[in-house]
This record gives sequence, C-alpha cells and structure tokens, in this order.
Amino acid sequence: MSETILLPKILRAAEIVRVLSEIDRRTVDGPLALDFRDVEEFDSSTLAFLGHLADRLPGVTAVNIPEALARAGEGFARRPDPQWPERPGPAPAGSRRDRFLQALADRFVNRWRVLGRFMALLGDEVYHIGRYLKTRRGVYPGETWNQMFFMGYRSFPIVCMLLFLVGVTISITSAEQLRLFGAESFIADLVGYAMLRELVPLMTGVILAGKVGAAVTAELASMTVLEEVDALRTMGLTPEKFLMVPRLIAITLVVPLLVAMADASGIFGGMVVARVMFNILPRAFLDQMVNTVDWTDFAWGLIKTVVFGWAVVVGAGFKGLSVGRSAEEVGRATTESVVLSVTLIIVIDCIFAFVIY
Amino acid sequence: MDIITAHDLSVGYGRTEILGNVAFAIPEGRITTVVGVSGSGKSTLLKTLAGLLPPLGGGFEFAGRPVDYRSEASLAYLYAKIGVLYQDGALLNGLSLYENVALPVRMHYPELPEGVVRDMVHAGLAQVELADSAGKYPAELSGGMRKRGALARALVLNPHVVFCDEPSSGLDPITSRLLDDLLLRLKAGFKMTLVVVTHELRSIARVADRVLLLNDGGLRFAGEYADLAASGDDFVRTFFLRTNDHDDT
Repeated sequence: MSETILLPKILRAAEIVRVLSEIDRRTVDGPLALDFRDVEEFDSSTLAFLGHLADRLPGVTAVNIPEALARAGEGFARRPDPQWPERPGPAPAGSRRDRFLQALADRFVNRWRVLGRFMALLGDEVYHIGRYLKTRRGVYPGETWNQMFFMGYRSFPIVCMLLFLVGVTISITSAEQLRLFGAESFIADLVGYAMLRELVPLMTGVILAGKVGAAVTAELASMTVLEEVDALRTMGLTPEKFLMVPRLIAITLVVPLLVAMADASGIFGGMVVARVMFNILPRAFLDQMVNTVDWTDFAWGLIKTVVFGWAVVVGAGFKGLSVGRSAEEVGRATTESVVLSVTLIIVIDCIFAFVIY
Repeated sequence: MDIITAHDLSVGYGRTEILGNVAFAIPEGRITTVVGVSGSGKSTLLKTLAGLLPPLGGGFEFAGRPVDYRSEASLAYLYAKIGVLYQDGALLNGLSLYENVALPVRMHYPELPEGVVRDMVHAGLAQVELADSAGKYPAELSGGMRKRGALARALVLNPHVVFCDEPSSGLDPITSRLLDDLLLRLKAGFKMTLVVVTHELRSIARVADRVLLLNDGGLRFAGEYADLAASGDDFVRTFFLRTNDHDDT
C-alpha cells in the first residue's frame, strides 16, 4: 500500500528533521512518496536530503521536484565518497609484527636524529661563544645585561625563598632521626653538606628550567613563528649566536651569584630549625658545619649548577628554534622544553654523582 | 643581465615537493612578480631563493655564482646581497623601529660611528615615510607601518635584490598602493631588483615588469607582463582576466 507525505513550502534542516521523524513513525509498510510540489524555499540541507533519500532510504521516493530545486541539485551532484573526510592512507605493507618493528625503528632513528641535532646545537654554541669572546661581534649590544637582569635579579627572590624552605624541611625531617641517636649537633653537617652538594644545585636548576627555560623557549618559538628568526638569518646574522650567546653568557655569570645566595638561604633555614628545635646557637651551628664542609663542596655545587644552567638554556633554545609555523607549537615547545631541561638536569646530576663520589 | 638563474629547481618541505624542476631567470633592475593560487609554492620558492630553505633538487645562481646551501660562505654572500620583506614585517618586537632598522648596520659594521648609523636609519625611515615613528615599538605600529618599517630595514644596507613576500596582504587599498609606489620608486631611483610574491592582481598590473606564474607544481608562465595578454594558455588568461576587469590604474 503506497503512502504520500506532502512536504511544506519551506524545507530546510528543521523541517527535514520533522519529515525524517515522520518517516520513522510510519506504521504502514510499503513504498512512501515525498511530494515536493509545494517546496519553494530550500538550501543545501534540502539538496543533501534528496541525496540521502536516494542512498539510504530505498523505499522512499521523491516526486514532483520543482525545477528550481532540480537545477540546484545538479550542482550538488558530486557527492563525497563514503570514507570522506577520512584521509585515505597508503595500504599497510607487511605483517602487523613487521609494521610494529618498523614503527619502533623509525621512532628510535628519529630520537637519535633529535639527539644529534641537540648535540650539534651545543657544539655550535661553544663555537659561537668562543668566536664572540674573541671578536665581540654578532650579538646585540646590551642584550647580555638584559638577560642577566631577567635570569638573575628576577629569579633570585624565588630561588632564595624556596631554598630557605628546603633548608627548613630537610632539618625538620632529619631532626627526629638524629634525636633518636642523640646526634642533634650533626644537623649542621647534614644541612651544609646536602645543601651545598645536592639540594641547591638541583633545586636551582629546576627553578631555572621552569622560569628561565620556559621563557627562553616561548620567546624564541614566537620569534620563529613570526619569521623574526628568518629575518635575522637573511640579515646575515646567525640566530644561534645572536639569540643564544647572550643568554648563555648571562646564565654563566648569574649562576654563581644565585648559588651563593641559595646556599646561604638554605643554610639559614637549617640554622633557624636548629635554634628553635635543638637550641643550637647560630655560631655553634656554623662552627660545626665548617668542620664538615669545605670550599670544594661549594665549588662542586657551583660547577654543577652552571652545567645545569647551560642544559636549561641550550635545551630551551633547541626547542624554541625547532618549532614549525603554527602558534600552537609555541605552547607545546614550552612544555617540552621544561620536561627536557629537568630530564637533562637529573641525568647530568646522576653523571656528576658518579664522578664526584 | 639576469641576477638570478634557476635550473631544474625543485622546492618543498621535508619530502614534500611543492614545485618541481622549474627553470627561470630574474633580470636585474626590474620587478618580477611571482604569482599563483594559494598553495602553489610562491612563498616556498621565495624562501629558497632567499637562502632559507634548501632546494630539494637542482639549484640556482645568484649574480653568476651558484648558491651552495652547504657552504656558509656561499650563504653569507647571498645574505649580503639581499633584503627580505616578510609577510608580517618580522620586526623584532623587543626593539624600537629605529633599533630594528639600525640592527643590520650595527651588526655588520660595529665600527661605524653612531652618528653615521643614525643618518642611515633616518634616510631609510624617511624613504618609507616613517621618520616620525622611529621611537615606536612594533606593537605600536599599524600593519602597513610595520611593513614599511620592515622594508626600511631590508633596504638599509642597499641590497642588490629585495624579496617581498605578499607586501599588500592585509592592507587597505590606499596603503597597498603606497607600498606599490615605493617599490616603483626603488626600481626607478636605485635600479633595484625586486622579486615580489603576490596574488593581488591590481598590484601586479601596477608594478610587474615580468611575471612567473606557478600552478600545479610547475611554472605555467614566465615572461613579460605585457606578453600575458597574448598567451594562449587558458589558465593564464583566466588568472589574469580579472586584472583587466578591475584595473583602474
């Protein structure tokens, strides 16, 4: 038994939804005709609906299609493939196991390439610094001071505050254990040694990674996206020198100051806890500490932090200068830069542990 | 005489070739426009000619010397002879307009007295009518001013060739025409060679001496602008037909 639905004068997406639900509600089996004779106002959804009828609703036919609608439908004749808009990829070659091994190998090779590029940048920077110190050319005058201000002056309050708190924490947590053995007086040795050798370099490195590394990457990545790096290159300048050398010189010069202040803050934190919890006078604390730690502890901490600083700036520059052309890559590069810097710091710290101890 | 000669040049990114095996010449002292639909490889070609993107195949000569991307000396020679106007200007945001224009002078000739640098920068900025805005930072300038400032920076060391990447894009017709006039003045006054990537038909009609039309990964037309009308190629005629419709110059 045949049934006909007379379609309204305006047939757009909202009306099509109603027609489709009416088709679904239909209780009578058999062919259904959609009568388009009254349709005067239509749009692309109407044309798509006509195509949908032909493809997906075989029992439903369209009748009395107005000439204007039929004419418009001709331009709509090229309909997408069923897979569209999925991009058809090349047919996978080899077995699943082969493809897995291939993907693994590609990943491994890519990682090696990235490592190679990073090492090449590190080598370039050593060369550029050497050239700059010799010729004093290729770097914008005053830029090193600007960077020192940003990396040093702007970083020192947070470094000092955090290291003071680390000093307090390490004293409190170790105090209970020392009390068990009646060795409270050794708190000064513990704080001094841990701060100078390990905690100050590590914490300062991590703070630099978060504060300086992220800022360097964001700045260089933005410059790359905005073609400023290309502009430098076509001006005959070397971005790896123009942009990186002032930052590397700045970090090399400010790290000793930061380390000295961080050491003092951390030890002061320990001293406060010793005075409050064990009633150890500051003078006694310092006397006890200098019996255990000497200038080599400070020197190793300093050397480590300078190396961490270099890792942060080179890692940040590497990420910043490797971005593509889209703005979203700036954010991604910044995040990756912090992760890379912290990873490098911990790996280098581990190597130092083998060398020093 | 041709200042740039390309043979079998293929350009692209990574393994993706955008333009393959093209050969052309860019004559000295004239304005050559590189035109084509979006994605045809205009800016990619410009980057390769400006020494920023190694060719995927073939090569080109600049002033009779082959450009070797593996040689720092070869690229340094190229960079010393060219200036580039980037699409958005690419002025360094941390420096004022004056400092941006002075940058190439200070970097290449640090021994020059500041008074000389000052005069050079003033001449460059006056040429693009921005002498009054020298103290402003890029963020304080309009799009057109940034482009003119970037042009002043590209010109300050008197390059042989200036590459301009879509100089009119995003500009109003008045500013766009101002930039076109500036390019024509540079050609007439300084016999400068300009390579202008654009798809602004009005601008092409106004400034182009020669045209390189890119399409479908190749060079569709390379010749005098005046010869376009005689071309029998349908694509060339369709592309440039609008020039005649809209040309009010």
